[in-house]
Amino acid sequence: MKHIFVFDQDKCSACSACMMGCMDQNDIDLAAGDQCYRQTFDNEIPLADGSTYCAYISAACMHCTDAPCITACPVGCLSKDPETGFTVYDNTNCIGCKSCAMACPFGAPRYRASDGKMVKCDGCNERVKHGLQPACVCACSFGALTCVTEDEYKASGSSKGCNFLLEQLALKKK
Amino acid sequence: MTELEKKIKAKIPGADTGIEVKHSLCAICSPGIHCGVDCYVKDGKIIRVEGTPDHPLNHGKLCTKGSSLRNYVYREDRIKTPLKRVGERGEGKFEPISWDEAYAIIAEKLNAVKQAYSPHSVAFFSGYCKWYRPILHRFAHVFGSVNFGTDDSTCFASMNIANKVTAGCGGAPDMGHANTFLGWNYEGYYSNHLSVAGVQKLKERGGKVIIIDIRDTPASKNLADIFLKIRPGTDGALALGMAKLIIDNGWADMDYVEKYTYGFEQYKALVEQYPLDKVCEITGLDADQVFEATKLYATNGPACTNFSASALVHHINGFNSHRAILCLSALTGNFDRVGGNYPIPPSYVHKAAGFRSREEEFRSNRYPGGQERIGAERFPLWNAQNDEFQAMDLLRQMEEEKPYPVKAIFGFGMNAKMFPETDKLLAVMKEKLDFFVDVDLFMSMTAKYADIVLPACSSLERSELKPYEGGFMTFTKPAIQPLYDSRSDVEILCDLARLMQLDDELLLKGHEACVDWMIDGCGLTVADLKASDKPIKIPNATWPVQPGKLLENGFKTPSGKFEFYSLAIASIDPKYGLDPLPSYRDPLEDQNDPETKEQYPFYLCTGARLPHAIHSRTHETPWLRSLRPDPTCEVHATDANRLGLHNGDTVEMSSPYGKIRMKVKITTKSQPGVLMALHGYTEANVNELIGRNHLDPYSGYPGFKGMRCNIRKIQEG
Repeated sequence: MKHIFVFDQDKCSACSACMMGCMDQNDIDLAAGDQCYRQTFDNEIPLADGSTYCAYISAACMHCTDAPCITACPVGCLSKDPETGFTVYDNTNCIGCKSCAMACPFGAPRYRASDGKMVKCDGCNERVKHGLQPACVCACSFGALTCVTEDEYKASGSSKGCNFLLEQLALKKK
Repeated sequence: MTELEKKIKAKIPGADTGIEVKHSLCAICSPGIHCGVDCYVKDGKIIRVEGTPDHPLNHGKLCTKGSSLRNYVYREDRIKTPLKRVGERGEGKFEPISWDEAYAIIAEKLNAVKQAYSPHSVAFFSGYCKWYRPILHRFAHVFGSVNFGTDDSTCFASMNIANKVTAGCGGAPDMGHANTFLGWNYEGYYSNHLSVAGVQKLKERGGKVIIIDIRDTPASKNLADIFLKIRPGTDGALALGMAKLIIDNGWADMDYVEKYTYGFEQYKALVEQYPLDKVCEITGLDADQVFEATKLYATNGPACTNFSASALVHHINGFNSHRAILCLSALTGNFDRVGGNYPIPPSYVHKAAGFRSREEEFRSNRYPGGQERIGAERFPLWNAQNDEFQAMDLLRQMEEEKPYPVKAIFGFGMNAKMFPETDKLLAVMKEKLDFFVDVDLFMSMTAKYADIVLPACSSLERSELKPYEGGFMTFTKPAIQPLYDSRSDVEILCDLARLMQLDDELLLKGHEACVDWMIDGCGLTVADLKASDKPIKIPNATWPVQPGKLLENGFKTPSGKFEFYSLAIASIDPKYGLDPLPSYRDPLEDQNDPETKEQYPFYLCTGARLPHAIHSRTHETPWLRSLRPDPTCEVHATDANRLGLHNGDTVEMSSPYGKIRMKVKITTKSQPGVLMALHGYTEANVNELIGRNHLDPYSGYPGFKGMRCNIRKIQEG
């Protein structure tokens, strides 16, 4: 069953527990220059009326249906997992060209300096296949970040997908 | 990659992957929380930590800090063996020694001070965490010293004493039944993640939320119907002003007031002095907003209030500010009522589980007496209401040796950065102490001053008793063996009790015997608890705790009522100038002379929570530190523009007491004229800027959140 990450900005506080969960799951070695696959943002956006909008956001790979990173990769590292729908990868043949990162509108793929290869959020694909939540979702205390099946998503009638959120924020900008 | 390799890489527990799930608890933050954790263990090493899904407290949830627990436990600066100092105190030069040698030195040195001076000249002190405190407290008493002190000298106890002298006890917000939540200083996302769901649920069923804070927070954005962005340190004036509005508009519950309270006329005369315009001038708030918030709180009941254990009381007027807020609860008839605030007494180490343990007796029934505790003369209300020494007087007493010298400190996680003018405290410890032993997980700045340093293990490497809401309790099992040559704090104390031949059967019998004595009567023993890996129901617990007992049986105060006018305070010698009424004074009253005002025009507020930090405990945890790598001074955009400051600039922050350097972060979440900075950084310890005598006379608490300060840009070459 295809899975979808849902982000509800009205529940987020950019507390970054999601990042901690991600780093714990993926053994991110900051000292070696690794970067967490997920990132949070605590932005103060000046509005036209002189007030400030505090935007609390958590973002990682959006697992786009038509993921541009897949086609951008010259050696075919990236693919869609047919079961979960997550954008997954096998970087054995990665040549470190960063084409995927450049193609990604969200900058999700990370270039790992320690081995010269690309790494990214794979939606905790293996965990999800074994009935567990993605690590970041597991770490979110506030229900801001959830991962639901496509059926659940449709049933919920959610209008709070992250893409929608970003559009909404842009409208409020100065 | 084979399927099994994929599973191992993804850390999927199971017999095939060799990954076992072991249950424990996270002890990074306050013992009022301590979430249950699932440790994924492979080959004796933790490879992942998650919240325990069916845990009665956290139901699988962990905060930012708890989610980094593995990174915290395996920190590089863990102390690995017992150490003996070989360099100067503070230099950090040690040599490893055996546990037996360390114990022998400790026993000899503590006994030497006891012989040469008195047992009271040995001060026993605990920083975080708190699980071993009943044992340490008793150890101090059996050793013969009245001096047991903790971080309660700056945390929680001020609020607790204010509650005691007003209502006999505190009251927890009944979120499940309230129509209005007065979130005074409430910012749950960063400091108590499990509390947010309760506020969300209240909103979902149509309840209203008022947030009062000095800065914009996720709570003010996501939860507030009305947000009062108050000038720091002026909460007491707001509470008095709200009381006047409530009385003047006939919103007070006069039946409740007449039946259950004491001193209303004096209180009424006090609040008369706080008309709305004056209150708005003091607090910087809008009059209509204050009126609307007060009306909502007083007329859309039942209403419960968030009381702040450590933010509000970190002002020199904080004790009375808390009392003033608490009084609103009685004035509106919300105290000890459904949907208001009512007492849920702690069962064991600050945690309520619906039964009464013998913790207090265990701590106090061997009290040696024979001398006054440190701080007794200076903080009489504290001393009368709290059975610990007030550590904010430790520096003075070590220096002056009056009324008697302090010559040894037995510290557990002692953190000098908790003390204003930290460097001064350490210098005096270096000069005056005959002996200092510190037990800690990490080689802290303070541990470097110790003569003997002992390595403690984390909560994941030992056992502890932990009750939980809902009438549950557990005795945790180690998820992994103690790292390196570390030991549990209680094991250390019981080992020493045996070596020093202390006259106490319980301590000699060890940890489990002590716990069994304390929980006797609850229907469980340690052996019963050990039969399960997770919290189990306590047979003799009553849960949920019901409100109304005080209204029925009387308040535990001298008058038997809720005291607007505190008779306990009135009984303190008038020479100390403590007001039985919750009167207001300026949070910078001791620094308002024209010269100081001009030189230090900013209002420094330290320690406003950020999600990745709690005191100094997590600053050196790499994942957490990466969220804000530099010690940071938050400057309001208005001030930054005026001073030509940019994000990332280095500034020198100064007060009459010291100077530190931090990086600038520009924000509009705070207020013009206010600087905010996290505490606990070794390289930029903001408590150096707080004066050692800048204290609340009622509690002895430092004004961490209200201090005059200045900044100037530094050119770093």
